[in-house]
Amino acid sequence: MAILVEVVLEEVTKSFGDVKAVDGISLNVNEGELFFLLGPSGCGKTTTLRLIAGFYKPEKGRILFDEKLMNNVPPNKRNVGMVFQNYALWPHMTVYDNITYGLKVRGVPANLRVKKAKEVLKIVKMEKYATRYPNQLSGGQQQRIALARALVIEPDVLLLDEPLSNLDAKLRLETREEIKRIQKELKITTIYVTHDQNEALSMADKIAVMNEGRIEQIGTPRDIYNNPANEFVAGFIGETNFIEGKIEEIIEEKSLVVIKTRTGERIYARITGKTFSRGERVLCSVRPERIRVLTDKRREDQIINLFPARIQRLTYYGFAEHYILEAMEKEIKATNFSPRASKHKEGDEVYFTFNPNDVNVFRIS
Amino acid sequence: MNITRRFALREIDWKTLSLFLLIMMFFSVFLFLPILYVFKGALFVNGQFTLLYFALMFQDAFYRESILNSVKIGIFATILTSLISIPTALLMVRYDFPGKRILQGLLLVPLVMPPFVGAIGMKQLFARYGSVNLLLMKLNLISEPIDWFGGGFIGIIILEALHLYPYLYLNISAALANIDPTLEEQAENLGASGFRLFRTVTLPLMFPGYIAGAIIVFIWAFTDLGTPLIFEYRKALPPIIFSMVKDIWTNPMGYALTVFTLIISVSFVVAARRYAGGRSYEMLGRGHITPRVRRITGWKTPIIYAFIILMVLAAMTPQISVILTSLAEQWFLTVLPTAYSLRYYEVALTHEVTAISILNSLKYSLLSTAIDVMLGVLIGYLLARRSFPGKDILDAVAMLPLAIPGIVIAFGYVSVFTGTPIDPFYDPTLLLIISYSVRRLPYTVRAAYAGFQQTSVSLEEASLSVGASQARTLFSITIPLIMANVIAGGIMSFSAAMMEVSTSMILANREAFYPITKAIYSVNLRLGDGPYVASALGIVGTIIVTSCLLAANKLLGKSMGELFRA
Repeated sequence: MAILVEVVLEEVTKSFGDVKAVDGISLNVNEGELFFLLGPSGCGKTTTLRLIAGFYKPEKGRILFDEKLMNNVPPNKRNVGMVFQNYALWPHMTVYDNITYGLKVRGVPANLRVKKAKEVLKIVKMEKYATRYPNQLSGGQQQRIALARALVIEPDVLLLDEPLSNLDAKLRLETREEIKRIQKELKITTIYVTHDQNEALSMADKIAVMNEGRIEQIGTPRDIYNNPANEFVAGFIGETNFIEGKIEEIIEEKSLVVIKTRTGERIYARITGKTFSRGERVLCSVRPERIRVLTDKRREDQIINLFPARIQRLTYYGFAEHYILEAMEKEIKATNFSPRASKHKEGDEVYFTFNPNDVNVFRIS
Repeated sequence: MNITRRFALREIDWKTLSLFLLIMMFFSVFLFLPILYVFKGALFVNGQFTLLYFALMFQDAFYRESILNSVKIGIFATILTSLISIPTALLMVRYDFPGKRILQGLLLVPLVMPPFVGAIGMKQLFARYGSVNLLLMKLNLISEPIDWFGGGFIGIIILEALHLYPYLYLNISAALANIDPTLEEQAENLGASGFRLFRTVTLPLMFPGYIAGAIIVFIWAFTDLGTPLIFEYRKALPPIIFSMVKDIWTNPMGYALTVFTLIISVSFVVAARRYAGGRSYEMLGRGHITPRVRRITGWKTPIIYAFIILMVLAAMTPQISVILTSLAEQWFLTVLPTAYSLRYYEVALTHEVTAISILNSLKYSLLSTAIDVMLGVLIGYLLARRSFPGKDILDAVAMLPLAIPGIVIAFGYVSVFTGTPIDPFYDPTLLLIISYSVRRLPYTVRAAYAGFQQTSVSLEEASLSVGASQARTLFSITIPLIMANVIAGGIMSFSAAMMEVSTSMILANREAFYPITKAIYSVNLRLGDGPYVASALGIVGTIIVTSCLLAANKLLGKSMGELFRA
């Protein structure tokens, strides 16, 4: 069993020319955790990964593995396994030679190399392919070998750089499960870079959402989805509706605020843990699946957060239906996950509603 | 803003920078300094700045005519070369037919023999009392012998074209093979076909490749020294410059003519680059390209075969004539030799001057290739894998030798190094080796650079990440992956060094140091068996080079054409 290693980044900065690719980020990856770096392209997530791997040196800040300073340790001395986006399998070596290369470098004796190669090939379910060359493997198989090559050296930390981006949709789903299984089985501290939020939400123990070289939020998938820290996170993860307004009233005993929108509606929102002052300009974020569409207002015994709308577009997906509603002089997206009961059609005058608990309020800076 | 081009002081990698500076020192001593001396020799006489010799050059009718002749030779040879290679490349790339591979191979045969060796054989066939005239007179088709060579002028153009068209053919083929077929299919889909399709889509797309090859052809024909010497054609720049090497300390005219040759060559390259540079297109590839190859059918078949076979025959005439000459025991005033023997090969392989010249050439070329491979891998590595201030300069400098004629370099070497411990009149070994390597360095740089480009950096990073050191990564990952390219580039520069004419002619001045090319030239002047022995020696050299090129072709495949570009 691998020794569990904790990875810590403190105020790490790396620039290319005048551009700060990574701008003073700090994060803490616990032992055995599957940690995701998630963000749009160019947000600095791959740079962060390469800093941890040692391919770049930080200009500022510290990188620590189990409290040991790694800043000046070259990549080949870090005992880090890395899976590259393009797999980087050496085309002039067989699968077996690819996998045992790292062992040879470490001076592992031949008989032990054979044993370890067999073990790791079994873990990735590729026992039969040891004598093949990389160009004789499919994309998914190459991906497994790249993973095996990184695992066989029993790394302290496993780094995955968009490992699934070159696979087709179906294989991607299967491989997701596979990587998660292997990671849990071996309990290696793993840092996984992706721009695919579904990958991150479905696999991660913890996610760091990055944007423009900074970390916007770190948390569990549920945290990040349900309590996004700011507008960027709310907009980047999942779909949402943003509604602008001003704080009109604060009901402290219920930790509720009333927000008056630009078009005059009042939105009630629960704000646990945040404080606002009257008159402050804010942005409300409401997920489409939290919005219910009602045919008529009297059937619902509710007086707050109920607004009239007109169905502009309705798209049926089988497992759900998506509405585009015309309300508050804008388009409001809504999703209904049990479309069987729905009798709505485009052009209908309807109402929509949502729970104050489902509104996230952000200060507009 | 381009991120990679801006450097803060703290980011400079001093190891890389010092390598860069070392390489630049090499170029400074063996490329820039000689050129500087040539300029100095032409512009400063007795310490005084003067343009007198340039004025003289244009006032004197002989010089004026010679300059004009050389430019004409360059241009006409390029036109003739284009007329041969464009249709040939189009046919070869676009059509499939039985025997194509053999014909393709035969089309490359002229690469293996410098044009001046071909000229020795061609004189047997086409001279005033050569085989062709004799045959025609025998058949009573003509009564007076025809001057096929046009006093040497036409002979030079034809020989240059027949030797140089493979370079252009390879460039055009590579460019054509690179055109995404969907671009043409789209044009056809919109209603274009035939010549219109060629003119509006195919031609513009292959043009940058064509220009890159054509400029090499021009410079080569414009500055080739060997062929005019064999034809005893004195009214051209290279032979005049050659004759002035001995007066280098007394007559600045040689410098002025050399400067002029350099200026014309470089301006043609610059103009061509300007023109083609803005028109080079990245192919928006979808992975790999399936070329549009059709089988020929119907009435086109005999026409295409006739054309290609005619081309192959024309291209091989110099080679065949040299082989015939080398095997002829007696060939004087008859259509074909009257008796055959191998005795001139025996002479070529045993005669003092010729035998040692083979060894000399092998020695010079092997050493110059070793330098080229080392420098080529190093420069290719720096260009492909490192960022440092001055990268653009290194790239430009490494490719510069393609634009600089050999006679200019050689003339500069004589001027810089006479009287030093490596005086070319005393022992030219070192200067020959270095001049060969400087001239052919672009081949190995390009080959190595392409190797690094095709090899993803992450392959090296993967090796580091599993614990291998930089050195181990270099030897077990990087070098094995770029090996084929490096070997191929090395073979190209070796072959070229074996056949190097202009610098060999000028720098090797004592028989003991003659390389093959100079020995061929000097033996040819010998009365009696001169041309026969020279031809035999030429064939020996050709055999060596052919085997090298076959090896390179096997390693490089299609991409061979891309090595010969300006």
